[in-house]
Amino acid sequence: MVFNSYSFVLFFAVLLVLHNLPLPWKVKKINLLLASYLFYAVWNPPFVLLLWLATAVDFYVARLIAREERPVPRKLLLVISLVMNLGLISFFKYGGFLLENFTALLGAGGIAFHAAKPDLILPVGISFYTFVTLSYTLDVYRRQAPPEKSFLNFALFVTFFPHLVAGPIVRPADLIPQFQAPRRATGEQLGWGLFLLSLGLFMKVTLADGLLAPAADAVFGVPFPVAPLDAWAGVLAFSGQIFCDFAGYSTCAIGVALCLGFVLPDNFRYPYAALGFSDFWRRWHITLSTWLRDYLYIPLGGNRRGSARAYLNLMITMLLGGLWHGASWTFVVWGALHGTFLCAERGVRGWASRRWQPLPAHETAPDASLAPVVYRASLAPPLPGARTLGRLGLVLLTLLLVNVTWVFFRAADFGAAARLLLAMFGLIPDGKPLLTTVDLLKVGGLTVGILAAHWLMRDTSLRQVAARTPWWLLGAGWAAMLVLLVLTQKSSSSFIYFQF
Amino acid sequence: MSPSLLKAGLLAATLTAAFVVGWELHWRGQGFPISYNDDESLWASKRRLVYNTSPAGPVLIGASRIKFDLDQPTWRRLTGRQPVQLALVGTSPRPVLANLANDPRFHGTVVVDVVEGIFFSPTGSRQEKRALDRLKAYPKWSLAQQLSFRLDRALESKLVFLDEDRLTLDAFLNNLALPSRPGVFMMPLFPPKFAFNDFDRQTRISAAFVADTAMQHRMQSVWTRLGSTSGKHGDGGDTLTALIQSVKQSVDRIRARGGRVVFVRCPSDGPFWAAEQRGYPRAQYWDRLLADTHTPGVHFADYPALAGFRCLEWSHLTPADAATFTAALIPVLEQQTGWRIATHPVAARGGPGCPVRTAAPAALLPLNH
Repeated sequence: MVFNSYSFVLFFAVLLVLHNLPLPWKVKKINLLLASYLFYAVWNPPFVLLLWLATAVDFYVARLIAREERPVPRKLLLVISLVMNLGLISFFKYGGFLLENFTALLGAGGIAFHAAKPDLILPVGISFYTFVTLSYTLDVYRRQAPPEKSFLNFALFVTFFPHLVAGPIVRPADLIPQFQAPRRATGEQLGWGLFLLSLGLFMKVTLADGLLAPAADAVFGVPFPVAPLDAWAGVLAFSGQIFCDFAGYSTCAIGVALCLGFVLPDNFRYPYAALGFSDFWRRWHITLSTWLRDYLYIPLGGNRRGSARAYLNLMITMLLGGLWHGASWTFVVWGALHGTFLCAERGVRGWASRRWQPLPAHETAPDASLAPVVYRASLAPPLPGARTLGRLGLVLLTLLLVNVTWVFFRAADFGAAARLLLAMFGLIPDGKPLLTTVDLLKVGGLTVGILAAHWLMRDTSLRQVAARTPWWLLGAGWAAMLVLLVLTQKSSSSFIYFQF
Repeated sequence: MSPSLLKAGLLAATLTAAFVVGWELHWRGQGFPISYNDDESLWASKRRLVYNTSPAGPVLIGASRIKFDLDQPTWRRLTGRQPVQLALVGTSPRPVLANLANDPRFHGTVVVDVVEGIFFSPTGSRQEKRALDRLKAYPKWSLAQQLSFRLDRALESKLVFLDEDRLTLDAFLNNLALPSRPGVFMMPLFPPKFAFNDFDRQTRISAAFVADTAMQHRMQSVWTRLGSTSGKHGDGGDTLTALIQSVKQSVDRIRARGGRVVFVRCPSDGPFWAAEQRGYPRAQYWDRLLADTHTPGVHFADYPALAGFRCLEWSHLTPADAATFTAALIPVLEQQTGWRIATHPVAARGGPGCPVRTAAPAALLPLNH
């Protein structure tokens, strides 16, 4: 079920009523759990079995890990969980990709090997809930969290429908404690939750699907080179679309959870106003970047094993982060580009700090190792040229490079990506104009609007701005979003991140 | 809830409700009727009905003409069965025919609408891709989408403004009369009141369009701008041979399971019809299609009962003519195929505009045989 559908409106209305009835807390949690399974099952009912498998295995394995004191059995239990979780995702998501590459490898070696391509449907949200269950088992293994005693609480933590299929990727400490005592949304939470739901739907339905997707689809969908203006418009359209789509989903999820009295972590903080790539990753898909930091980059050694190893760890983290998004080499290249930009930024910052000024004390403090992974890449003072170049210049440079990476993220293959990049930089002289004047105006207007909003909001929060806004202006803005939502009318189209 | 958030929420709800009511009344006042969105879900809801089809209640595939010209209520009245309308505007029926052929559960009857410029469009063309997109979406039609479809249709049956083709933000923006950039193709704007859809995917030219010659001329200019009157020649040679062979394979597969197929050429008119005759000479396309696939077909020009209809915008029949055309088509189909379709001997007509009368053998004789 998607948030932007009539079925969800009905589902959510019924659930809100049920959740506010004077029922015992356990009954309410069972209602939420059953509703979450229903929310998931209406995509493809058999895939609920996978969810049950992941839930049951991780719940019991984590309990055994917590009880076990001997290192080897503990590790074996962890391996069981890792094999199950990573095995599921590998089979469904990467099976075809691995087979394809294996066949190509044999072919390159002169061995003709043909295997039937597995015709598997990717269970929606598997990348997200796998990371949720993995984080729980790993936290228990590292004795950073106790195992949850209640199977109901744990199952609800894994399955809670607002975050189930596209995040935010929650950690045990984010959510499990919230299931332990009765909760009901306060009036403030309900009101703010509905506002966030409206905003998220507006971003998804009106901006992403209604206004930006057609231009992006047109430019990325044609098999011939387009004119530079069209190429840039298409990439900027996708840049806006993927932000509005994914941040829209996260905003809906946070709003829906809040209406029920639960708080989910933020997932986006105005990423297109980022000053550099480390800042970008502190603002884009925050729950993924922090997950990668805590469960991949730091266990690899982070930056504790010297500079060269830190660069390597950063690249590994971003390459796997790219692969997490999809079983394709274009996603790997997307991750590699982000890794390269992060490494370059880290190198420039390190060089600049040695050249001009020493590291500030707080940057070299022992607890600096707890900083975010990609934040580690920026463990240096700000670029000295930043003031002269201006923050806006750095923001625009970052955005330019982020847009280059989006080409690989969205293009169907490397040929399409190369064609578009060459067109963007004017290296194909006779590209065909494709987009209409209206398309260009839509993309241009929304791009400027999104960038301006991110720039103005980069150091504040929506809640703070709303608190400062007169009620009539807030109400009028809210109504404008709802009216545009009604006018757009597109319903039920999937969110881009569901495919990951 | 803080007083300001509560007040903001109430204001937003009031303004939105006022807008929705005003918007609905506005479009009703403009004379817009209820029209169903002919989207993936509506198509999927019909696609699942193909397993109980027969000559009396066939599957209809093709482009827009059969959606306008075959009047389903008339067909239902005369045959006692509801046809399943799977035609897709502006698309080639070949992918849908292949889809039915590859569905082992399908052994029904297919009426294939042939609009030469679309039917014979090359493999991989835009016309084919649009049909393939629909087919790709069908197996993924989830329970959630089916539930949303039911709720959506309940709302669409009451609210005029729920019209994705005409009354959305995107449609309004695209209708802005901004000049196009040089070299960019701009889809010509169809008159908003040209036609509307019902829940059975029947498309009907509106009464406003029938009464308004300016709108008719605008629609004619749309066809001209789209190149429909240019008489551009279709592919021939090996491309055409391969295309017809692919159709034959589909037809043979359906027949092998006990199914039936018939081709129908619906009327067109004026410069559109003239261009179709120039671009797709009958002997090279229509006649060859029937001969190579060993399949019966009904061409409107061959029968007095079907020929001579006037299409106001050169390509589709008005609702009144569609009813007459459908009543006349059934006995012709029976004669050409030998299938039992109508529940009783069907009323046929001597020509467009003539009163419906009992089937007369002379009216059913092909003109060129």
